[in-house]
Amino acid sequence: MTRLRATSLPRLERASEVITPDRRRIVIAFAAAILIFVIGAVLHHGFASHGSIEAILTVASFVGLVAAGQSFVILVGGIDLSVPWVLTGAAVLFATSSLGHNDRAVPAILIALGLGLGIGLINGIGVAYLAVPAVVMTVAMNGVMQGLTLGVSKGLTCSSCASSAPPNVQSAFDSRHLGIPSSLLLWLAVTLIVGFVLSMTTFGRMIYATGQNPRAAYLSGVRVKAVTVALYMLSGLFAALAGIALVAYGGQPSLGMGDPYLFQSIAAAVIGGLSILGGRGHYFGTVAGAITLVALISLLQAEHMPEYGRSIIYGVTILVILLLFGRKEHVA
Amino acid sequence: MVPTLRRRSSRPNASEHWKLSLAQNTPLLLSLLILGGLTLLYIVLFYDQLHRLPGVFEWTSIVNTAMPTALVAVGQAVVVLTRGIDLSVGGVVDVSNSLAATHMHSSLGSMIGWSLIVLLFGAVAGAINGALVAYARLQPILVTLATLSILQGIAIRILPEPGGSIPTTYSNVLANPTGPWGLLAVAGIAFLWFVFRRISLGVRIYALGNDEQAARAIGLPVRRVKVATYTLSGLLGSAGGLFLAATTTAGDATTGDAFILTSIVAVVLGGVSFLGGRGTALGAVAGAFILTILVNVLFFAGIDPLYQSFFEGIFLFVAVLLGATVGWLLRRSYQS
Repeated sequence: MTRLRATSLPRLERASEVITPDRRRIVIAFAAAILIFVIGAVLHHGFASHGSIEAILTVASFVGLVAAGQSFVILVGGIDLSVPWVLTGAAVLFATSSLGHNDRAVPAILIALGLGLGIGLINGIGVAYLAVPAVVMTVAMNGVMQGLTLGVSKGLTCSSCASSAPPNVQSAFDSRHLGIPSSLLLWLAVTLIVGFVLSMTTFGRMIYATGQNPRAAYLSGVRVKAVTVALYMLSGLFAALAGIALVAYGGQPSLGMGDPYLFQSIAAAVIGGLSILGGRGHYFGTVAGAITLVALISLLQAEHMPEYGRSIIYGVTILVILLLFGRKEHVA
Repeated sequence: MVPTLRRRSSRPNASEHWKLSLAQNTPLLLSLLILGGLTLLYIVLFYDQLHRLPGVFEWTSIVNTAMPTALVAVGQAVVVLTRGIDLSVGGVVDVSNSLAATHMHSSLGSMIGWSLIVLLFGAVAGAINGALVAYARLQPILVTLATLSILQGIAIRILPEPGGSIPTTYSNVLANPTGPWGLLAVAGIAFLWFVFRRISLGVRIYALGNDEQAARAIGLPVRRVKVATYTLSGLLGSAGGLFLAATTTAGDATTGDAFILTSIVAVVLGGVSFLGGRGTALGAVAGAFILTILVNVLFFAGIDPLYQSFFEGIFLFVAVLLGATVGWLLRRSYQS
């Protein structure tokens, strides 16, 4: 049995093959983000200023982290609805296990990331080996994590629940290198690593093969179930990472902090060109999708758009993007 | 090969027929069994705590709490039967609830008129979902995610803050506090479903869910059936919203959001397959009642309400695995 190898792919020869439909989607998603910044700059002086762009990108980075895991799962045709409470659970666990002490920072981060990996492992086993539908498995897991987080922390009223992130983690997160905030550097690093994994590694090829056609992938030697489990673990890991980042950024965890990230992570992936059926798209697109989404929300807030209007425009925008780019191939 | 051929050409004998029909209805039977078991557990726990059996008040409150979820879940089940999913039901319930709470007066004309307007709104919202899925060829989960956001916005516009009121007469008719009259509605659903399974739309929805390509190949108007499917879901969602308004006697533009997950969970507990083509409305109703009684069981078992969703999650997981295992065992015993 031959293993899939990145080098075994045919070399791209013509220019038309370099600009594949998937790559065009990534370019369009970035263009949409830039367009929103341009519109914002016209409507509001300072919307596209350095500080404003930095603030928007920082908020987008949290969506982007969660969406990294969501993208992995969506690439094989799955979905992870357990993101909200895995994120919140990891955030609470990080704060309560560190108790705000600097010397506990590293173990606390590892424990919180371990929680994400563990939850992802259970999700993956349920979906891949027990054949529970992904929607059902991850909805159940979201409930389990919600109940555990609320129950164990007594509704975030436990004695250690008041503790905030260790000061060294907070200051590391607030610091800048080469003029770029650490939070954005973290996202940049994640983007490069995820992009490398998807495009340059055997594992990346296995993900796309599984997403395109699990049966064909299995027959060509991909351990489809193991790959699926690994992807759900990555989704849990990234949700936990986002939880830690949010605590480091905001100082303290709060209940329900993960709720917005479920729909936003899915929307970012879809705007970025991932097919919900799996096998199509790239994390670079998701990054552009996250920026577009957060920039749009910020623009609507800057316009003093009331909540109902934001909600409606948000929905309409996703529909328009879907109508323009998200249609299935026509079936005769 | 020969025995299989013979089995196919001749009609199955009585014992085989029984086994086959059992295997086909296993998910429904299983969810009814779970419902029965939970109800028994509820009665025992209730007796243990209060030294009396649950009376009319308790049963009425369970039925009235379960009814909105049951209606929304039936709509969700119809969509899931075609391998779709409808996340916008939450928004439909929000809008229905807000419309009823802000506009309905205690005159008969107003109550009937606004009920019809709300139902019409739900059907139109559903039809738009269906058109986007069928004619624009978009993924159901994404379409309904977007329309959910739009509907939530509309609901907040109609009723910015929780409030409004529902005429007492209306509450008494839909959610009568003196007895579990909601069970009549369940009987109504059962009857309508019996009819629905026998009209062409019902048959087409099952055909579509079992094999979309085959359904298209034999000439079913697949796109129109899909629009009808989502229209039904919207209609039942708004009916659920009206029941909810009647039960709570006031409006809240965000209470509907909880129905997204509960309707999906009820559908799963009711044995409707996410692979499409298998399941019934009765299963979805049973699922909604299972969820409601489970909350009561957890309460009387003295479990901290904070842990409620933990046990609901575990319960959902176990129920799905149980259904899969029993189905697998039955299929194996039939094949051997």
